[in-house]
Amino acid sequence: MPKKPWFSNLKCRECGHLYEKEAIHICEFDFGPLEAAYDYEAIRGTLTRELIESRPQTMWRYRELLPIDGEPTVGTQVGFTPLVKADRLARKLGIKELWIKNDSVNYPTLSFKDRVVSVALSRARELGFEVVACASTGNLANSVAANAANAGLKSYVLIPSNLEQGKVLGSLVYGTNVIGIKGPYDQVNRLCSEIAGQYGWGFVNVNLRPYYAEGSKTMGFEIAEQLGWKLPRHTVACMASGSLLTKIHKAYKEFIDLGIVAKSDFSIHGAQASGCSPISTAFKAGTDIVKPVQNPDTIAKSLAIGTPADGYYAIRSMRETGGSCEDCTDEEIVDGIKLLAEYAGIFAETAGGVTVACAKKLIESGKIPKEEAAVLCITGHGLKTQEAIIGKVGEPRVIGASLREFEDLMRDDSERALGNIFNQAGL
Amino acid sequence: MEKTRLWLMYPAKLITRPIIHELGHKFAVTTSIRQASVNEEVGIVSLELSGERGETKRAIAWLEELGVKVEPVEINTIEG
Repeated sequence: MPKKPWFSNLKCRECGHLYEKEAIHICEFDFGPLEAAYDYEAIRGTLTRELIESRPQTMWRYRELLPIDGEPTVGTQVGFTPLVKADRLARKLGIKELWIKNDSVNYPTLSFKDRVVSVALSRARELGFEVVACASTGNLANSVAANAANAGLKSYVLIPSNLEQGKVLGSLVYGTNVIGIKGPYDQVNRLCSEIAGQYGWGFVNVNLRPYYAEGSKTMGFEIAEQLGWKLPRHTVACMASGSLLTKIHKAYKEFIDLGIVAKSDFSIHGAQASGCSPISTAFKAGTDIVKPVQNPDTIAKSLAIGTPADGYYAIRSMRETGGSCEDCTDEEIVDGIKLLAEYAGIFAETAGGVTVACAKKLIESGKIPKEEAAVLCITGHGLKTQEAIIGKVGEPRVIGASLREFEDLMRDDSERALGNIFNQAGL
Repeated sequence: MEKTRLWLMYPAKLITRPIIHELGHKFAVTTSIRQASVNEEVGIVSLELSGERGETKRAIAWLEELGVKVEPVEINTIEG
């Protein structure tokens, strides 16, 4: 396969300095993050709606806008998750039109991390890495382990040693090397960065980060395509590092610049858990200096990043698009999970509960006007965080194996329903 | 001689103290500031430290003792 010219360089987001397409992620001058740069003129003459539509329904149908040189080799089935029109939930939240981008059914590990990992590992292969790694507390670890297993790459997953057993199993099952590291979070973090620097591994969220992060754009591309090649007026995304939100913004801008969608107003809104809301706090305070949260405390553990690497850029994206930002309590997160399940039939992890709960607040406050349309980005499946809702969604009612007992139960239900009707009618 | 790239985050009470100047005198490390943002609540500095590994570790430990949060520039090494 001849090398394609579309992906041209890595570029510092701060000073614009250009770098070769290597396994590097920090600008040598100002330590700014590097991101992928493309030859948009070449892409403009190549990528059309028709070409995209002719390709298999995976995230790789936008491959000209992804940072690899050849064809993808890892995670070739990932993406193109459903965009579900959620009319009942729209009525419940009081908005005219509501869509759910449902990455809780992303393949193979039921979270949007499969998008970023498939790009990172495809690029890792191009760069000649034989060992890939990550440090994670959940979804990222699962995805690296699964995708590396399928690709035949050796993988190491580094985790804090006190992680819940369920999350550890979700990586161990794929035969990866799981290493538990003792100590406070900051020290674990520092050790991981030292390992990444010394062992010559492809660390998906360290030295492969510029490649990894670009995978998130495909969520934005898919939303635009699935809406009939137009941008949603409002998009709500949860924020941990803030990367997903900035990449959805980049995706929408790229589609406009390439003429794939018409230019239209769009706003991107961010959602965080109140127990770890450094980006939301800075946004609401009107500053772009993100003050670290020392001890995150929320049931939305996948969002509990106290020092968000892309926080500054997420704030910039929200402000640039006229978006806004909200945060929500643990109780509101559980309510958000239940709302999404009961009114749209989608079981999301805690991060999804954050997105729904914050969207509810944004609609109530008029920051997302009720007469407009919004897309909520749901990033992972509820089966991954079941402990958050145990005891909060009721219990099954147990009866004996007798028709009479069942009929008694049905009668109770009917009487209760009738009572509700009388109550609502004020009788 | 090793180079270590760090983000330093100062709490409000330390913002006016010349910590990087003190660091350069107290330890055998060379400091190079690459970026800085400061307001009345927090100070954020990106800093390159050059020195022997042990000396760099001692310098970081001193910063942390003072109450400065020290992270590798690869923050978010651990993700969800």
